[in-house]
Amino acid sequence: MSQEQRTTLEVIAPTVEEAIQKGLEQLKLTEDAVDVEVLDSGSRGLFGIGSRQARVRLIVKGEQPTATTPASIIEEDVPNHEEIIWVSEKVVSDLLERMRIKARVKASIRPSASKDEEETVLVNIEGDDLSILIGRRSETLNALQYIASLIVGRRLNRWIPMIIDVQGYRQRRERQLRMLARRMADQAVHTGRRQVLEPMPPNERRVIHLELRDHPLVITESIGEDPHRKVTITPKRH
Amino acid sequence: MKDLIEYIARSLVDQVDKVEVTQQKGPGGRIKFELRVAREDMGRVIGKGGKVANAMRILLRVAAARDEKQATLDVVEPK
Repeated sequence: MSQEQRTTLEVIAPTVEEAIQKGLEQLKLTEDAVDVEVLDSGSRGLFGIGSRQARVRLIVKGEQPTATTPASIIEEDVPNHEEIIWVSEKVVSDLLERMRIKARVKASIRPSASKDEEETVLVNIEGDDLSILIGRRSETLNALQYIASLIVGRRLNRWIPMIIDVQGYRQRRERQLRMLARRMADQAVHTGRRQVLEPMPPNERRVIHLELRDHPLVITESIGEDPHRKVTITPKRH
Repeated sequence: MKDLIEYIARSLVDQVDKVEVTQQKGPGGRIKFELRVAREDMGRVIGKGGKVANAMRILLRVAAARDEKQATLDVVEPK
């Protein structure tokens, strides 16, 4: 083979490190198998203003054909399930301890159900009187979930989606939301008027959208800005 | 409360030894926390649109409520 094989991949992510990591995962290669070209190092945008995503180009080195990369190399780099579970339980427990909340923490892995869905860590928190952990519109629970997933992602060197639940709250809430969605859809159809729901966090709005996605008579849409963003349910015109 | 902020900040920054949390008594028994990190790490503890800092404030509020106190958090420029 005289012709050098040059596969390239451009990746965009919040930071250069994350972009490289993401690209390597897509290519299923380790860092020494590629040349990295930083196209845009991005800017973190202090105080969140004017932040720009980082852009990198990964160029697969010619001598290392992608198809035959030994699987063992990849596996060493990807944290295994026990490690993900252990780190997730540790981080959530550490946070709760410092929030002076006594609770039991149990993590598990939900395997990806389809190709475009990633595997997810589920962390369940059990204990007495944990309503303080949920907060108004599950604000506290979402904050805990966000901070914990950032820390876990950093420790594992890989971002993995995390869902934290307290005493099955999210599951119960999801059932309620589905029922609410169907009820409000009926109302929209009967009255012929657009129904506007209460403000909800993104994950809850998603439940409503999904529940009514295949509804023949209404369409859903979100309006406003977080944290006041609301789902609207509008009857379809015939 | 202080240990919570320190724990989160140290877990998110690159320069762990530059993390510094100070506290002052504010009006009405409110505790005012100031978090300092290396300049390069500020984006990590503030987040896009202040998302990380706001999440820290929410968790801090819970920790403070356990002591029947109120607390605020500011991320400030390093000295």
